[in-house]
Amino acid sequence: MKIVTKSFLRYLPRRLSLSLLQLMGVACGVAAVVGMTMSAITALASFTKAVEFLSGKATHSMQRPAGPTEESALAGLARDPAVVRFSPVIDRRLRLANGDLVRFLGVDPFLDRAIRPEIADAEVRPAKDNAAGALSFLLDDDAVLIDKELARQLQLSSGSLLQTTRGALRVIGTFSNPSGEPLVLMDIAHAQKLFTLNGFVDRVDLILADESGFRGRWEEGFLIQSGRQRSAAFSAMLGAFRLNLEALSLLALFVGVFLIYNTAMFAVLNRRRDTGILRSLGARRYEIIAAFVTEILILGFIGGALGGIIGYFLTRFLTALIGTSITDLYFFLRPEPSAWSNWILFAGVALGCGASMLGGALPLLEIVRTDPAKALSGRVAGRQSGRNAHRTSLAGLLILAVSTVLLILPRTHIYVGFAGVFGFLIGVSLLTGSVLVAIHPGLRWVLGRVGRLPGKVAAGNIRQNLGRTAVAVAAFMVALSMSVGLGSMIGSFRQSLVWWMESQLQGELYIGKIGEADVPESFYEEVKKMPGLGGADPYRNVQVLYRDVPVYVASVDASVVQRFTHFGWLKGGNENWEQVKRGGVVISESFSRRFGIKSGDTMTLHGAHGPAEFRVGGIFYDYTTEHGLLMMDRSTFLRVFGDHTINSLAAFIDPDNPHRLELIQEIKKKAEARGLPVQTQSQLRASILKVFDNTFAVTRSMRALAIVVAFFGIAGALLTLFMERRHDFGIYRALGFSTGQIATMTLLEGLGMGAVSYLLSMGAGTILAVLLINVINLRSFNWTIFFYPELGPYAWTAITALVASLGAAAYPIWKVCRTYPQMQIREE
Amino acid sequence: MAEPVIRVIDLWKDYADDLTNAPALRGSSLEISAGEVVALFGKSGSGKSTLFNLIAGLDHPTKGRIEVEGQDLELLGEKGRTNLRRFRLGFVFQFFNLLPTLTAFENVFLSLELAAKPDAAVARDALKEVGLAGKEHRYPNELSGGEQQRVAIARAIVKRPSIILADEPTGNLDTATGNQILDLLTHRCRESGTTLVMATHASFTCRYADRILRMVDGIVVEETSGEVLAR
Repeated sequence: MKIVTKSFLRYLPRRLSLSLLQLMGVACGVAAVVGMTMSAITALASFTKAVEFLSGKATHSMQRPAGPTEESALAGLARDPAVVRFSPVIDRRLRLANGDLVRFLGVDPFLDRAIRPEIADAEVRPAKDNAAGALSFLLDDDAVLIDKELARQLQLSSGSLLQTTRGALRVIGTFSNPSGEPLVLMDIAHAQKLFTLNGFVDRVDLILADESGFRGRWEEGFLIQSGRQRSAAFSAMLGAFRLNLEALSLLALFVGVFLIYNTAMFAVLNRRRDTGILRSLGARRYEIIAAFVTEILILGFIGGALGGIIGYFLTRFLTALIGTSITDLYFFLRPEPSAWSNWILFAGVALGCGASMLGGALPLLEIVRTDPAKALSGRVAGRQSGRNAHRTSLAGLLILAVSTVLLILPRTHIYVGFAGVFGFLIGVSLLTGSVLVAIHPGLRWVLGRVGRLPGKVAAGNIRQNLGRTAVAVAAFMVALSMSVGLGSMIGSFRQSLVWWMESQLQGELYIGKIGEADVPESFYEEVKKMPGLGGADPYRNVQVLYRDVPVYVASVDASVVQRFTHFGWLKGGNENWEQVKRGGVVISESFSRRFGIKSGDTMTLHGAHGPAEFRVGGIFYDYTTEHGLLMMDRSTFLRVFGDHTINSLAAFIDPDNPHRLELIQEIKKKAEARGLPVQTQSQLRASILKVFDNTFAVTRSMRALAIVVAFFGIAGALLTLFMERRHDFGIYRALGFSTGQIATMTLLEGLGMGAVSYLLSMGAGTILAVLLINVINLRSFNWTIFFYPELGPYAWTAITALVASLGAAAYPIWKVCRTYPQMQIREE
Repeated sequence: MAEPVIRVIDLWKDYADDLTNAPALRGSSLEISAGEVVALFGKSGSGKSTLFNLIAGLDHPTKGRIEVEGQDLELLGEKGRTNLRRFRLGFVFQFFNLLPTLTAFENVFLSLELAAKPDAAVARDALKEVGLAGKEHRYPNELSGGEQQRVAIARAIVKRPSIILADEPTGNLDTATGNQILDLLTHRCRESGTTLVMATHASFTCRYADRILRMVDGIVVEETSGEVLAR
């Protein structure tokens, strides 16, 4: 190795504590990206695998546009010349007694063998009390097959009982399930009984020989999708979710790169004098660049490898969180964290090195530009002048201007929005130098009041060492801004959701559960007739395709909803329901924005009897789905789709009804008698908020990780300042400063930098929240979140900043206490 | 008379970022022949270090011309000036400017490596010549000021340059050590025929020079003798 390179690399072991802090910063940044990306990939791959496994060899699927399909269609399919094989399926979710939800498939074992041969090869072992063996699958009402992994998890074997909310089911065998999604199988006839679906199936999986001929015969009234279309439709549903996961990864990477920039900039400042010496001895620029690049690549390599390993363990935690969110919001998914692979290490190293090069680019430019004469004279050694800070701020203002243009450009891709947000963060961080210069008198006054002379010196040190302090403050500010911004955005979203629930969820009781327990029509009729009841709304929510994109249609009793709820309308009020009563629809804001449909427009949906036209009566705020929701009256829904399913029933009672409580009890009793789940208004709202909180668990994890990354940044800055001021410490000691005073000075430097970072983050974080709400969320999900300023995120971030600053100062203070009593004025 | 090894003609230097002060150099001119030992005597801030930086090609003059070994520095370009420092020039600084992360041996070897003559034995011999045998593996912070300056001298002479520029070589040393260092430096240069230019504000340094140039406020004002200076 060349001596020039060696002279740079020796700093790594010589300043071991600083190197370790830098290494941990890189490692945490990489871990966040690896963890987040891998979890997202694992979850989505698991989803693809599940879709592929469950589709089996089927080339197409056929179902009614909404609701179950009549069994009578099967006879026609059996005779159709284009159909090579077909298999009717009941595809539902089943809640186990332990609260877990699993996928439930009802299949005809003979017809399904050609579609899903893996399932047909189930190992059925006769139990002692089950002499019928495999035949019991057909004969016993409660016989099920479960996948081997689920059996292992629940410690079940042949003959065991699987306890569910629909009663106990007898396990008669197990089968291999490569999708990783827990799966329960039952004969279709028994499944129809279990889910009260006599005469109906959910869909028919098909192997077709002639698609166009088949479509020509069956397209009227049925939704026919190829495997690719189904998969694309599912993937499209996850589009915005995936995009946000990617954005979170990028945010983590952004903080990571910023920290590496921070680290590399320190290295440049430290090496400035050495660079001058080397240049005076005849070293070429490229030799110095090579030495510097080697140094940051070593940090990137080791930090990246470490980050890969930490990221792998993080994946195990994040994958479950993402799986829960996808299950809550979209469809059932329980992804298994991916197994260890050396590729993870490779990815971590590549990311660490890549991010190091990216973060080191500007510092590298700085080192190339180093004027050897100035570096040798010490005229610029480590001290960034106020003029430099103002020059940097001008660049920051320019970036802010470009970002503003990106953010206000209408109808651009979401990535343009993300670029604008990142630009905003970079722009603001470049202003920190000027801010530190501007607030120096104030900071000096405050720290002087707190720490007297050491406080004043601390404020001066922050101002005098802008080259180091401004970068550290900027990195910490960005992390804290993320905390404030994401916290405020989540808080505002939560408040908007609460407002939405208060406006829409006005029922006293909610009976049934979407996807789990449907409400029999007879029960609805029974409740509707109960004396004293204000109204009953039979709610049905079903996914349909609009312009080949999945959207949701909900059917309601428009009169009841109009009377008892107060929807938030973009324009107008509850009179918008009049159009619905006349056979029209009202649409959600996300539907309107997604398809550019306005109030008064006409739109077409494909129903059970072909295309049907609807007039849009109004647009309402909604947070249930970003894909778009349209509501129609039940009478219209039955006419168009012929689907009588009721997912849940909302019971409304006039508030001044004197027998309100008795009525509630009576409805509850009736529902429980039929085994229907009942939730009160507050229980339903609480469960929605729980889903919401689960959804943002990933975001909160990333937010915490960004703080950890930034903590290493500010700790590194303080330690660097300490190391470089050993000479000054000798002078302080000669002047009579005590160890306590120097420790106070170091502490106040940390607190001062933390306080400035926090103050800046209050402004930057608030703007970030507004951008996340008005640009990112609006463009990703097409819904309006109302900004509700809350104290919580600011208070939480203040505590974080305080703890991080104290923590960051702890090690330098310990070094001060240990070494200061021996320090002397030394020669250069 | 032989062609001068260093020729400076009407040299001016203004620092663009220092508008409050007068130019650091205000039309300095000088000529130094091969093998001469010259003392550039002047107070702090008189422009000695600026002149050295310009002669070494580390900085650019505002106006004027510098020729080293007959070559115009401006025409040499960045690569040519780097080569000049790498092969033909040696530097000795007041604050030694050793790389803190390299041992004494490595600091000297660095110079050879840059000059494309990496020979460990030569580096060890150079250290032995300056009286540091046995201290090759010590880091700069493990050496005294005088020892550090000896390493700097070894680093300068080891590549056998034609010119050594010594900027206040004794400025950070006590008188006895300073004399030892000057003795070593001038002896070594005379022995090898190397041109030595020493910037100094200490009159005792001038005793070691063949010629003394006085610098006042950015101008080389006169050539004087040791006796005059002593008076």
